[in-house]
Amino acid sequence: MPASPTDEQLITRWQDEPAPLLPLLHAFNERDGHLSRESLEAISAGLRIPLAEVHGSVTFYHHISDEPESRDRPRVCMGPICRLNGSEQLLHDLDGAEPMACAGRCDDPIPVLQADRGLVGRPGDELQQVPSPLPPPNPAGIEECCLANVREPDRAACSGYVRTGGYAALAKARAMEPEEILQVLEASGLAGRGGAGFPTATKWRAVRDAQGGPKTLVCNADEGEPGCFKDRVLLDHDPHAILEGMAIAGLATGATRGFIYLRYEYPQTQAILERALEEAEEHLDGFEFCVRRGAGAYICGEETSLLNSLEGRHPFPRNRPPFPVTHGFEQTPTAVNNVETLASVAPILHRGAEWYAGLGLGEHRGTKLISLSGDVERPGNYEIPMGFPLKTLLFDWAGVPEGRTVQAVTMAGLSGGFLGAEDLDVTLDEACLRAKGSFLGAGGIMAFDDRRDMFEIARQSMEFFASESCGKCFPCRIGTERLVERLGDPSGPLDPAAWTEEVRAIGQAMTQLSACGLGRSAPLITESLLRLFPAEVSGKLGAE
Amino acid sequence: MSLDLTLDGQVVPFQEGETLYEVAHRHGDKIPTLCYDKRLKPLGACRLCVVEVEGANGPLASCTTPAREGMVVRTVTEDLEQHRKTLVDLVLSENPKGAEITPLRGLASQELAQLSVRYGSDGTRFAGATSGHPRLDDPNPMILRDYEHCISCYRCVRVCAEQEGDYAISITGRGFGTRISAEFDVDLQDSDCTFCGQCVQTCPTGALGDQLALQYTDLPEPINATRSICPYCGVGCSVDLLTKGETLVGVQPAMDGPANEGALCIKGQFAWEWVQHPDRLKEPLVRKDGELVPASWEEALDRAAAGFAQTAARHGRQSIYAVASGRAPHESAYSVQKFIRVNFGSNQIDNCSRA
Ligand SMILES: Cc1cc2nc3c(=O)[nH]c(=O)nc-3n(C[C@H](O)[C@H](O)[C@H](O)COP(=O)(O)O)c2cc1C
Ligand code: SF4
Ligand code: SF4
Ligand code: SF4
Repeated sequence: MPASPTDEQLITRWQDEPAPLLPLLHAFNERDGHLSRESLEAISAGLRIPLAEVHGSVTFYHHISDEPESRDRPRVCMGPICRLNGSEQLLHDLDGAEPMACAGRCDDPIPVLQADRGLVGRPGDELQQVPSPLPPPNPAGIEECCLANVREPDRAACSGYVRTGGYAALAKARAMEPEEILQVLEASGLAGRGGAGFPTATKWRAVRDAQGGPKTLVCNADEGEPGCFKDRVLLDHDPHAILEGMAIAGLATGATRGFIYLRYEYPQTQAILERALEEAEEHLDGFEFCVRRGAGAYICGEETSLLNSLEGRHPFPRNRPPFPVTHGFEQTPTAVNNVETLASVAPILHRGAEWYAGLGLGEHRGTKLISLSGDVERPGNYEIPMGFPLKTLLFDWAGVPEGRTVQAVTMAGLSGGFLGAEDLDVTLDEACLRAKGSFLGAGGIMAFDDRRDMFEIARQSMEFFASESCGKCFPCRIGTERLVERLGDPSGPLDPAAWTEEVRAIGQAMTQLSACGLGRSAPLITESLLRLFPAEVSGKLGAE
Repeated sequence: MSLDLTLDGQVVPFQEGETLYEVAHRHGDKIPTLCYDKRLKPLGACRLCVVEVEGANGPLASCTTPAREGMVVRTVTEDLEQHRKTLVDLVLSENPKGAEITPLRGLASQELAQLSVRYGSDGTRFAGATSGHPRLDDPNPMILRDYEHCISCYRCVRVCAEQEGDYAISITGRGFGTRISAEFDVDLQDSDCTFCGQCVQTCPTGALGDQLALQYTDLPEPINATRSICPYCGVGCSVDLLTKGETLVGVQPAMDGPANEGALCIKGQFAWEWVQHPDRLKEPLVRKDGELVPASWEEALDRAAAGFAQTAARHGRQSIYAVASGRAPHESAYSVQKFIRVNFGSNQIDNCSRA
């Protein structure tokens, strides 16, 4: 492709590829620095998508726009942890910078995204492009699954991967019947690590049994949940493990084509994945996998919204039934799986179902990656046995600053709301956390010590959900906005009882009636704020 | 095999593929909705149609839930009505003027106003920012774009795509900031819009309004609807002619019109003002000394016949050419060609529908 390709060259390059809209939008955006009317007209004609629809979709995503020079503006992470690190100052200092939602590097200085460059730095520092951090050394020598080899030098290269045992499980799987693969996974107890915890073998069997084709695999690498950066460590430092897991998923389901839907905010990761795909060609014989870069939308991590986004449709979540396993990408049977889920597959096949199941504590099976950040001494990704005590992770592994007490931690990134100091003796597994009214989800935990204003953290959290609400359903579209307003500068003394009644009523409607997980879980923020910090709430309301 | 489920205590039959909303509706239930239009694929946006299904984990939107054998469904419970009230309160809080709207705006324009009465909502509970971005400056003379009333139900976008096949408007932005617009927010006349008016007629709040009808807002008489057939073409779309006293004040499509099911085109929808226009031709005119003057039918027909005869005599029979109206049904079109062939021996016959 020439340095400045013509419209026609770009259209020809992409129009016959699968899922062409996103890459075409990015290609035009890269050429011109924004998406002009002429570009969208060319794309609309080339892909036969109505112009108004293409334009509508462009306005949906955070990182693409019809505004001239929009592509190269720096975006500064406004995630809750980066704000503690001074990201508001950085936003102010950088010329023309825009805020962006949590960019998934909470274990690093503040991420700043500029076009295809992911930089990090603090106010006053020179911004640098550096590889994302490796996980801290395994603290207690407890056996790991996904992170076991990630610290090996050169593991991201195919040669390094193969040297450390990579692609052996795939070779083994090629000699197995699909049913045998499914049985191993079933016995291992592997369940979705993207948040919903659906048994992986059951999902794959449904795709295998579904009528029609071609069947499709999707690796969900959208990782948009604030405080979650656990998929990033696997994608950056162990990409072949994900490709191997996808190939095994293909053998088990009968799918030969697959997409990796990668969040826009991980540009270096795209290069890493594309290199891995090239290097692994011989191992991936019979499969066609490609990377599709998102354009900035948390909701596109929700699997049906993701599928709409891939297909070039407006990225609202779809109604279910039908489910993706029968009617997924372009209505074909589709297995959507999280990065961590897929990265667990090869080790399970390699070392056996019993080995994996045995990694959990008590009746819990397997492991979970936890992204831990905030007011701890050693933030980072930790792989814990399912059922592991939160306190051990927090105080022994990561460490809390001398003289500080943890007043709250978030669960499931932000989606699980807050647990308070009195809740910290939970174990990290769904059963225990659900009993506390929260959930483990994708495994992001942000810690806040006694210096932090939890009302303000709650406001920022709700602002995130409001700005990411897709706008499809009434309770979430209006409810998130109203909750942000109520958590925003409460003007003048308000009656806490009336305030609480409204916030509860809105939250209840959202939890019970919203069409997808975003609107259903967002009110956990206000619910847990009211439960844990009633005095702070009254104080704020009476204060002004 | 017959399929049954239990609906509010009654065992009722249903057919494979029906949704719970359809089954309940068929049995006379008045489940409230705002984003529903039976002609469109259900979207599940407003969540008002939620019902309780035994064994389900929380209420389900009945418009997107397929009916299944043996389901036990409740459509009215205290909890559900509470949820619905909260939803109506929320939606009126973003559109506080929505409780009152003139029915001249459009066929479905009273839906939100009626729910505000049913749930005692006046837009004061949950007060906060409003979501509308009016486009009252759109210069087209037909469609009022008063998005101050818009509640993001997307019926307009869906009817334009699914019924009109036009895709002129779409959803832009996200969340509470969502708006309805044509590409790059151009005026409708610069978009692909055909001005069929279907978006106006399905809008449940009157955010889209019939500007022609709205000119008659101040006439004091009550609105009367008279069922008729659109006179423009052979399709025969059913319409309701809206009148106030002796004045025609608007046309609305009939949802139960067998030929159109609520659809019209720009002509049937918006081109009716000629009916009471002062320039309208009301009697035959013939030209005398270069001036058109009133004449009797007899005189006018004689003049026409003489003209045809003279032309045929001077230029031959093939100089007579007939164009049948696209508005005419088959029988009339047949009569035209018969008349021309038999009377003049000409086969120069055509139809005006040659777009
Ligand atoms: C609002 C929302 C955001 C989500 N974001 C992600 C995500 O970024 N990554 C992910 O793997 N799953 C995400 N999910 C869950 C997916 O819908 C889906 O359950 C998951 O990708 C399935 O893979 P698994 O079974 O391997 O976990 C999200 C769900 C919701 C409701
Ligand atoms: S809950 Fe929120 S994000 Fe999910 S469909 Fe509804 S509006 Fe969209
Ligand atoms: S008038 Fe018809 S074509 Fe125009 S926007 Fe409305 S539905 Fe679409
Ligand atoms: S203009 Fe009317 S039909 Fe369209 S989304 Fe708004 S309220 Fe719904």
